[in-house]
Amino acid sequence: MGIPTTPMVTRAFKELAILNVAKRGMPHLRITFTPHPVASKTPEQLRAYVEGNDPISGKPMMKEIVDDLTVPLSADEKKTGFVQVSVGPEKYPPDTLKNLQQFYHDNAMTDFLPVIIPTDDEVEEMLKGTSRKPEEVCGRMAGGAYPPWSYTVRQVAINAVMAGCKPEYFPVILAIASSGTPSLMSSTNSFAYAAVINGPIRDKLNMNYGIGALGPFAQPNAAIGRAWTLVSRNLANGGIPGDTYMGSQGNNLNYNNLIIAEHEAASPWVPLHVQKGFKAEENVVSMFRGLGIVPGQGARGTSTDTPKYEEQFSDLFSVFTGFFGGLVVADPLIANHLKDRGYDTKDKLIDWLYKNTTQTVKEYKSRDFAYAFDYPRALKGLEPYKTWYAMPDDAVIPRWPHRDDVNVVVVGGQTNAFFQGGSLSYTVSVSIDKWT
Amino acid sequence: MNRRKMLGLLGISPALLAGTNAEAQVKSKTSKPPTASAGAQKFEGLNPKGTPPAIQLIPMAPRLDSLDGKTVWLVDTGFEGGGMLLQQIQLWFKQNMPTVNIIFRRKAGPYMEDDPALWKEIKAKGDAAIMAVGH
Repeated sequence: MGIPTTPMVTRAFKELAILNVAKRGMPHLRITFTPHPVASKTPEQLRAYVEGNDPISGKPMMKEIVDDLTVPLSADEKKTGFVQVSVGPEKYPPDTLKNLQQFYHDNAMTDFLPVIIPTDDEVEEMLKGTSRKPEEVCGRMAGGAYPPWSYTVRQVAINAVMAGCKPEYFPVILAIASSGTPSLMSSTNSFAYAAVINGPIRDKLNMNYGIGALGPFAQPNAAIGRAWTLVSRNLANGGIPGDTYMGSQGNNLNYNNLIIAEHEAASPWVPLHVQKGFKAEENVVSMFRGLGIVPGQGARGTSTDTPKYEEQFSDLFSVFTGFFGGLVVADPLIANHLKDRGYDTKDKLIDWLYKNTTQTVKEYKSRDFAYAFDYPRALKGLEPYKTWYAMPDDAVIPRWPHRDDVNVVVVGGQTNAFFQGGSLSYTVSVSIDKWT
Repeated sequence: MNRRKMLGLLGISPALLAGTNAEAQVKSKTSKPPTASAGAQKFEGLNPKGTPPAIQLIPMAPRLDSLDGKTVWLVDTGFEGGGMLLQQIQLWFKQNMPTVNIIFRRKAGPYMEDDPALWKEIKAKGDAAIMAVGH
């Protein structure tokens, strides 16, 4: 900023703060720490914080702040230049598979389940899955609130090997990596990620979109999702608790993410990638980010001829924040039933859900996400936030700000009319074919 | 990337990280490269890490002689509780350093968005700033 500035950070984020300022080039930045948390505290409690000591340095907090702004700079604090950080040798010394396995775990390069040790031979084999040159830069990804790391096709291949991928899966991993979307988000909210795969490649890879499609029953579904997490961890330095990962509870979906190969043949609707502007014959991966996915609480009315699945989706979404999008994950039985009842396109269903899944302004404003993200947008004049914040508390508004916050995919083995609801926002669709 | 090594390269004592963040209890051991066991078949494992960007060192702005008569901006970045904490700091200045002129402002946009217009305004009208990050 060009004038003396000092940040205050709660003690829970000490490690994050120290590493963040270092990675951003101000390793000596003077930081004052407060007790944690500061949220949900009374003015009296916060006053006690201010009149107390920095819990890390032990110094009186306000004296420390005044000193931070007035004590002359040291030589280190005035330094300029560049520092190149090494991530170690290209190859580790020879050892047994067992020892290497433990080495990769100990250095946080795995998901702490056994990995395939990435030898030259294994990686060369993986590289046969693409026509791209091994040294081509594939993308950049930020693990946490830091400047992004970059990586080559070869570096992605190393991680694909570790995850247990076959070479034919590799273009999918490259497409995901090229998007720069990490599956490990630094947020305290323990994010989950999903990838929807469309196109003929689903059959070429023998992906499971039938019975148990979202479970551990098919190698491509499992390994592709796992590779995304290893890519996020190793190529972007993501998922380091206290540094690049702050999710308070963590998320089990982070092991291999939610990988959905859409059941295009059994769906009465156009597949997701066509909705996003691709041709049906193209192979595409579409990514979603949010808090996770919840099973529908058992379909209602299937013993009659009038189950209202759209209402059941809406009921499920009514417990979600609305800050993230709504992702309907429906078995083909449900999709076809809805089609027979007049929802002959996904758009019609999305329209209904957007208009009929509502909340009061009071409910909306009470959410932390609205306070942290939408209220500042309202102040900037962005819609619909500006209008929503000007409405009375009892006014009824949609649960999502925009209609296209709702998406629908069809997957499952048609053994039961089952569905799940994701608190997941669509982020981007990427061509897989470009990486073959 | 070895975090302690990186801090060392930047001239920061890695000991700063000691005992930090009781909530982040899972730590990597960052063990040394393995040594071979006799007799068993051995392999060379490749490094799966990406390439971090070079770190450009940014010098800190020169400090003030004192805060007397100066204008200090308190910036709420928008995390829960940050604004309320800053209000208490504002009160503290009023009672303990009344010659300091305090201006409170919530940064525009969500906390992860930059607000260059505010930084420009603070630089033009202020002498120092305190940014409070809550949670």
